[in-house]
Amino acid sequence: MHGAPGHASAVLFGLSPLWVATLLFVATYLVIMSDKLNRAIVALLGAGLLILVGVLDQKEAMAAVDFNTLGLLLGMMLIVNITRRCGLFQYVAIWSAKKVGASPWGIMLMMSIVTAVFSAFLDNVTTVLLTVPVTLLITEELKVKPYPYLFAQIFASNIGGTATLIGDPPNIMIGSATGLTFNDFAIALTPVIVVIMVATLVPLYFVWGRHLRATDENRRHVMGFNEREAITDPRLLKQSLIIIALVIVGFMLQRQTGIEPATIAVFGAAVLLLLDNLGKDSETQSKNVHGALSEAEWITLMFFLGLFVLVYGIQKAGLIDMMAQGLLKATGGDFNVTALAILWASAVLSAFIDNIPFVATMIPLIKAMAPTFGGDAALLPLWWALSLGACLGGNGTLIGASANLVVAGLAERAGTGFRFVEYLKIAFPLMLISIVLSHVYLYWRYL
Amino acid sequence: MTTPLIYNTVFPSLRDTDTVAEATRRMLENQVSDLPVVDNAGRLLGMFKLERLFAELLPAAATLGDGVPDLAFMSDTIEQLRERMRQIEGAAVHQFLVDPEHVLHPDTSPFEAVLLLYKGTNAIPVVVAEGRELVGMVSARDVLAALQPAGAK
Repeated sequence: MHGAPGHASAVLFGLSPLWVATLLFVATYLVIMSDKLNRAIVALLGAGLLILVGVLDQKEAMAAVDFNTLGLLLGMMLIVNITRRCGLFQYVAIWSAKKVGASPWGIMLMMSIVTAVFSAFLDNVTTVLLTVPVTLLITEELKVKPYPYLFAQIFASNIGGTATLIGDPPNIMIGSATGLTFNDFAIALTPVIVVIMVATLVPLYFVWGRHLRATDENRRHVMGFNEREAITDPRLLKQSLIIIALVIVGFMLQRQTGIEPATIAVFGAAVLLLLDNLGKDSETQSKNVHGALSEAEWITLMFFLGLFVLVYGIQKAGLIDMMAQGLLKATGGDFNVTALAILWASAVLSAFIDNIPFVATMIPLIKAMAPTFGGDAALLPLWWALSLGACLGGNGTLIGASANLVVAGLAERAGTGFRFVEYLKIAFPLMLISIVLSHVYLYWRYL
Repeated sequence: MTTPLIYNTVFPSLRDTDTVAEATRRMLENQVSDLPVVDNAGRLLGMFKLERLFAELLPAAATLGDGVPDLAFMSDTIEQLRERMRQIEGAAVHQFLVDPEHVLHPDTSPFEAVLLLYKGTNAIPVVVAEGRELVGMVSARDVLAALQPAGAK
């Protein structure tokens, strides 16, 4: 990572670096929000322009990229891409549906819990891509409306993802920028996430759960599913489970070993690739490795890459310092007010804009407040406020998180419409409940 | 200069008001898996494909990608598949129309037809450029027949 930024001295045509960087940053943000262009293209173009106009040079731009975040994301993507081939996710989903006797509310409850737990350890989009089709299959067999189930899964994925360092990209970015470990996140956030999960499921029961009905015959169809048949590669299943367990242990021991999460995740992915390809001919190996690599979400990775450069551009130009001073002025320099303002502002903004660029901007902004609040260690509650706000805020609208749009897209293709306003009516109040609980928790435990 | 395309001008087709039951009967009768659907003026409206019909018989989730990569865990019987078929066989084929992946014209090179068949297309409609009037179909069987030595047909 780069060192402390200085102020850019000169850019093309002698323009002010602050104005040029701000203009480029705002323009990039607006185009990303408009959804007219793929966000990776926009971020890379913005980053390239910052270099071309002279706000940053290439060396600074490369140093601005947080390879720990990129490595952790890539490593986990590879592990999931290999693991998904064995049918583990379908197995767990079917098993959990049968455990509750295929009762409609029981399945909604179990699928929400399964989604939340998977999301805590995997990327949210991957989790819903793997679990939502099984939900659609089960609801089709039960002949019940899938909408309530999918709604609950969206919430579960965003809530579960908030619980750990690796569950949601904002947490990965915060962890990487601050040195907070997997255990720090789990200890600080998991308790409130469990409460929020329960507090979300209770209203969902009253809104939908208690009205869901399925005939005995349709329930028998689901009970007739043989989850063991969902496992397509038992050898790969064992290998994947061992590697995932070791990677998580590696994350837990991060403070003792000093090994960064990116190293753990990428090394785990490499070992799993090795195990998956041992004894196979070179053509099969190439096919397997190519498959795992090509299915990584390169759009997300390139988006992050461009974003890191863009944010460093405005940081170097002095905009972040100005924003931090502005926020401190608005909160009167009161730590508690600042923490709660970050929580609420992050939540509301993340409901409407992509939380990744938002968090990327907020990280240096919060760091810039360290001298005011007594050093880096004192900032801990602010990081939890940012994490809870940015991750949970994504539940507020259909466009608040990538996982929401993925679920809506899958539902649409399966013939179930997801309307923005219909979703908003229930989702936004539910999201606000989760933020109220986060507010109380932060105040009680950290402020 | 291109060689005139050798295509079959006698081919089964469907009207968009025909039912799925009629379409599948015609598929079995003619041993084809894709049938062109035309309007009253003989213009190509789209294709009725067995693949699309099978998608209708499956749970929607199975056609969404990787989420449900196989259905070996389902215990449903052939009776349940038949029941699903009974539910759709009275529907008109226009509900299941798909755009043809490719169309050829009467003067298209036969190499292009062979290339498309090589890439996996089952049957390719041949239309005149203006008005999309359907004048023929090309399948692997038609190409093989056209490649036989003179007198061998």
